[in-house]
Amino acid sequence: MVDGETTAPVMPALALRGLTKRFDSKVAVAGIDLDVPAGSFFGLLGPNGAGKTTTLSMAVGVLRPDAGTAFVLGHDVWSDPAEAKRRLGVLPDEGHMFDRLSGTELLAFTGLLRGMEPTQIDARARDLLDVLGLADAGRTLVVDYSSGMKKKIGLACALLHAPRLLVLDEPFEAVDPVSAALIRDILQRYVHTGGTVIFSSHVMEVVEKLCTHVAILADGAVKAAGTLDVVRAGRDLEEVFVEVVGGRIATGQELSWL
Amino acid sequence: MAVRQPRARDFVRLKVRMLGNGLRSQTMRTVGFVLGAVGGLVGGGLALTGLALTSAASDQTGYVVAVLAGTMVVLGWTLVPLLFFGVDETLDPARFALLPIRRGVLARGMLAAAFVGVPPVVTLVATMGLVIAAGLRFGPVAAAAALVGTVAGLSLGIVASRALTSAFAALLRSRRMRDLAAVLMSLLATSIAPLQWTISAAAGSGSMAQAAGVARVLAWTPFGAAYALPYDVAIGRWDLACARVAIVLGSVVLLLWWWAHTLESAMYASSSGGTARSGAGSGGAVADLMPGWLRPLVRPGPYGAILARELRLWWRDGRRRAGLVSIVVASLVLPVAISFSGRGGGTPGVSRGALAITGFIIGAAMAGAMAGVLLCNQFAYDGSAFASHLLSRVKGALDLRARATALALLVLPAQVLVVTAVCVVTGARSYLPLGLGVLAATVGVGLGVAAIVSVIAPFALPQNANPFATNSGGGSVKGLLGLLALAVTLLLSAPVAIGAILLHSAGSAWLILVVGAAYGLLAHRLATYIAGDVLDHRGPQVLAAVMPRRG
Repeated sequence: MVDGETTAPVMPALALRGLTKRFDSKVAVAGIDLDVPAGSFFGLLGPNGAGKTTTLSMAVGVLRPDAGTAFVLGHDVWSDPAEAKRRLGVLPDEGHMFDRLSGTELLAFTGLLRGMEPTQIDARARDLLDVLGLADAGRTLVVDYSSGMKKKIGLACALLHAPRLLVLDEPFEAVDPVSAALIRDILQRYVHTGGTVIFSSHVMEVVEKLCTHVAILADGAVKAAGTLDVVRAGRDLEEVFVEVVGGRIATGQELSWL
Repeated sequence: MAVRQPRARDFVRLKVRMLGNGLRSQTMRTVGFVLGAVGGLVGGGLALTGLALTSAASDQTGYVVAVLAGTMVVLGWTLVPLLFFGVDETLDPARFALLPIRRGVLARGMLAAAFVGVPPVVTLVATMGLVIAAGLRFGPVAAAAALVGTVAGLSLGIVASRALTSAFAALLRSRRMRDLAAVLMSLLATSIAPLQWTISAAAGSGSMAQAAGVARVLAWTPFGAAYALPYDVAIGRWDLACARVAIVLGSVVLLLWWWAHTLESAMYASSSGGTARSGAGSGGAVADLMPGWLRPLVRPGPYGAILARELRLWWRDGRRRAGLVSIVVASLVLPVAISFSGRGGGTPGVSRGALAITGFIIGAAMAGAMAGVLLCNQFAYDGSAFASHLLSRVKGALDLRARATALALLVLPAQVLVVTAVCVVTGARSYLPLGLGVLAATVGVGLGVAAIVSVIAPFALPQNANPFATNSGGGSVKGLLGLLALAVTLLLSAPVAIGAILLHSAGSAWLILVVGAAYGLLAHRLATYIAGDVLDHRGPQVLAAVMPRRG
């Protein structure tokens, strides 16, 4: 199920080993092993409640796993966090930002927090706001941004320190098509220059269009993983997804009163 | 299709169910809840016994105690939520916005549900002492009147706390009203002072007549009226009793109407945080974040970034602003109130200007200790955004130091100013170094205690439009954490305060200033070091604890 053997012993950009998380008595993530090859555009698919956010949170070191660990380019996120987190950029879920700061303030804060040079922060912030079409909104508080703008400023924060691996939680959720296209372009350019992207989603079209690799997550376990073509096996990705996850299809008999 | 309107009973049942669910399978919360309930009931029982025992005293004393205690209850219910606990918003009015419920029905239901919880029950138990006392003194009819009065008084207090906090929340949401709200708040907080003054007067010798005079006035205000009922009934003045009932019920109805009104606007309000200052300043992103005066003082880096962010958010985040305004006002009023009520034993107003050292020092200590209360749950203000600290691996100690410094920069000037003003106005300039030394010690210790509490016992704030809201059940217990931290702070800085009181005439005032400052600084450093280490190890747990639960 691991697909990294095309170019022999290349270190995966992100490697999850036996990640497990239990909330009270409910198992949210039941021992996940996954390799995200360097240079891949990796889609993490799964229905609501499959454990996508939990897995990614543990992978980037903000949620402590009950067991297992994660490696970013060979550095253990939990025992060698400094090295791992330097190479890592994260777009968190909506609302996981200091949204009472303006866009520029948030970028400056993120950069300084990571110990970057002020001049470098200024230059990169200007570039990022420009490219993302947020230059005019730089002085508006992030809390007043639209969903698309919030995703974009989050992406800018994640990219500011030029990480080698980008971890994105639902980057296309509640984003208008124009912003989504822009985010897609930027991510594709990033992968072309040698970066690695892993993102979670439940939108098949986006994943099919963008990804080189996919993994399907359900009930806290990896149900299928590999290159897009291997997982698809000549079929429609949505078909494979519904079959793997085990959804039901309405027959038309139910809800007759509607 | 006709829809049956829910009854008050349904709201009560919903509240009980929600409290129960909140406790289910959460051992720590259950333990906290039980401890809070038991502690509250013990306290309430003691108060009950104390009040019941007053039946042995003269009628006048009984009257004064009943009215003053009653006023304290109502005033306490009105004001304390603004400062410490927040109101119990287990039932968030916004959740009812989509349901076809009439405004009056909603307000009545929310009121009924507000009686469910530890604080109302404890208050009711404590004030039952007044009923017992009235019964022992005048017989069953007066006891019945006292019972009516007690329940009416508690209702008034609860409604007042709801109405005031919703109104303040609305005020603090709008930018134009912010300053007005601050003034209103200070006026309210100042109203504690005359009461305190009366009590200390009553406690002093031979001023019972004076206290009785004050009590007679209070008994015609909504605060005390309910508690004077049995005394009217006992002397057969049913007309007076009816008038007092009318005062209390009128106030309840009026507040209820006002509350229902603000509830409605709160239900549909979207709290926009106000936009950032849109000046010119094209000096780049870093210049945007760090204000000009700060940049020469602090090197741009993680510390400066957190400091600058905190300074901005204390004003921009409605919840923080509400806390900050309350605490600053309280720390302005407390030294003044305590200094002046403590002076000239028993004959206030006519003492000869000599500022009582004990009162002054206690006032300064209380003011300084207040600052820490704001930071006892500091990570909850960040919520899930705290993840960005973890992602950039900020050192815990540095993080805590930056947060404490930002708050100190905001509250210390006001506190220094008021302590200085008290000294200058009373002509007791020699006390100034003492006051400042005690202030420095308590601020330092307070922020240190808060650092430790905040990493050990963080909890999520409700995602709610009302900045005073707490998720109660566990909330009132968590609110106690702030109070506990305050007590610990005062205890730990007691050496400096006692030293200041003992040595005030020994010409060593400046020594106290130096020692106090060093003590505060050292205590804060030590606490930050410990708490920072905990934070470095428990960062993800803290994040998980302060993440708002999704509805």
